Amino acid sequence: MIILQTPISEADIDRLKIRDKIEMKGTIYTGRDAVLPQLVKLLQEHPKEVKIDLQGGVIFHTAVSPAGIGPTSSNKLEIEGSIGPLSEKGIKVHLGKGALKKETIQALDKYNAIFAITPPVTALLTAKILSKEIAMFPEEGIEALYRLEVSAIPAIVAIAHGKSIFS
Amino acid sequence: MDKKRMVEKVAQCLVEASTRFRPDQIKKYEEAISKEDNPEARWVLEKILEDAQIAEAKGIPLCDDTGIPHVFIEFGEGIKINSKLDTAIREGISSGLQGLPGRPMAVKGEPLERLEQSKGLYKESEALLPATFLYRPFLGKGLNITVLMLGGGPEIRSKTFRVFHKHDSKNVITQAGQWAKEVSGQLGCTPCVPAIGIGRTHYEATVLMLEAMKEGSLDQQSEFEKLVTEIVNESKVGPLGLGGKITALGSFIKIGPQRASGVRIVCMRPGCCFDPRRASTIIE
Repeated sequence: MIILQTPISEADIDRLKIRDKIEMKGTIYTGRDAVLPQLVKLLQEHPKEVKIDLQGGVIFHTAVSPAGIGPTSSNKLEIEGSIGPLSEKGIKVHLGKGALKKETIQALDKYNAIFAITPPVTALLTAKILSKEIAMFPEEGIEALYRLEVSAIPAIVAIAHGKSIFS
Repeated sequence: MDKKRMVEKVAQCLVEASTRFRPDQIKKYEEAISKEDNPEARWVLEKILEDAQIAEAKGIPLCDDTGIPHVFIEFGEGIKINSKLDTAIREGISSGLQGLPGRPMAVKGEPLERLEQSKGLYKESEALLPATFLYRPFLGKGLNITVLMLGGGPEIRSKTFRVFHKHDSKNVITQAGQWAKEVSGQLGCTPCVPAIGIGRTHYEATVLMLEAMKEGSLDQQSEFEKLVTEIVNESKVGPLGLGGKITALGSFIKIGPQRASGVRIVCMRPGCCFDPRRASTIIE
C-alpha cells in the first residue's frame, strides 16, 4: 500500500504504476457532472475566481450527501472532459470508476497525472472523512464542489504513464 | 393494527435493506474472495465486504445511491386493505428515508421541468416518493412487507424486450444472460446479480423481475440461474471492471404465465454489487 499525502508531488506520481494500491490522505476535492465543466470554464475565463488550490490536488468524482460519498462513473461526458484540463492546471489524481478513452489516457500522461478507481463502498469511504465544507458552487447542492479532509481513501491506480488497467 | 408501530417497522425495514448484507450475500462474497485469483479483483471484493461490516455496525448506507424504494405488501386472511394501511406504509417509507438518511435526490417541478431537472432537487431525503406499491394476497395471517431499494446504475442498463423461444426454454434464458453479459462491462459496480422476469407483457415481465429480486437467494440457485451467472462470468469483466472470474455473484429468475406465441417478454436488470438491497417485516 502506497500512502499519498496531499499535495501530491511530481515525484509521487513518477513512482506510481497501474495496479498499485494507494491510500490518499489530507485535503481532497469533490466534483461530478454538474460542477466539473463549470470549474474548467472558470479556470479558462476567470481563473482568479477559482478559490481552490489545484496544485498536487485530488478530485474525487462523487456527490457529497447525507447518505455519504461514493464514486460515480468517470466516463460520463462532463466528468471525463474535465480530466485533461484539470490535470493541466495541477490536479494529480482523478478518483472515480470506469474505463476512460485513449485521448484521456494521453492527457493524463502529458500532465503527469493519474486516474485511480475505488469501489462504491460508501460506508467505508464516508468513515474516512475528518471534515467537510463547500468550497465552490454551493447552488449545486449535493453536487457542489466540496473540500474534504480525509484520513485514508483507498484506491487502485487504473491509468498511469500512458497505461490503462482496462486495456 | 397500531399505526405508529407499523410506521416504525416499515421505517426499520427500509433502513435494514439499505445498511445490511443478508447471510447469503456475506457467504457468497466470502466464497468469491476464496475463488478469485486476480489480486485487484480480490481487493475489490474484500473492500465491499468491509463496507458491509462498517455499514451494519454504524447503521449507515452501503452505497450513497440509496435507491428508489419498491414495496411489496403481502396480506393474509382478515387483513383489510384500505387507504389507512396504504398511508401508514407510505409514512414508514418516508420516516425510513429521513432516518437512513437517503440521498436527497427527488426532482422538483411540473412534469416537463422534472424531465429536464430545471427546478433543482428537494433537500429532504423523505421527499423521494416510492414506486407504486404491489399488493398480493397469501394463505396465512398477518401482513408481510418487503422493501427493495433500487439504485440507478443497474436501472440505466436494464432492458425489457421480446425473445423468440424457438420451442426451447434455454434459448430465452441464454438471451437474457447475454443481455446481462453485454452490459456488465459498462456497469462499473460489478460483481452484479442479474434479475430476470419472463411474462406476457412488459408490465408483467417487470413485476416478475422485481419478484425474482424479492424472493431470490444466492444460496439456492436453480440450474437456469446458474446458467445466467456462467454466461456473465464468461465476460471476465470482474469486480469494478478489473478482470477476474467473478463478474456475477448469482442470478434470480422468475417465470410467470405465458401466452400462445413464439415470443416471450423478458425483463433483465443487471443488478449491482449490493443487490438485492432488501428486507422484510412481518406485522401481526
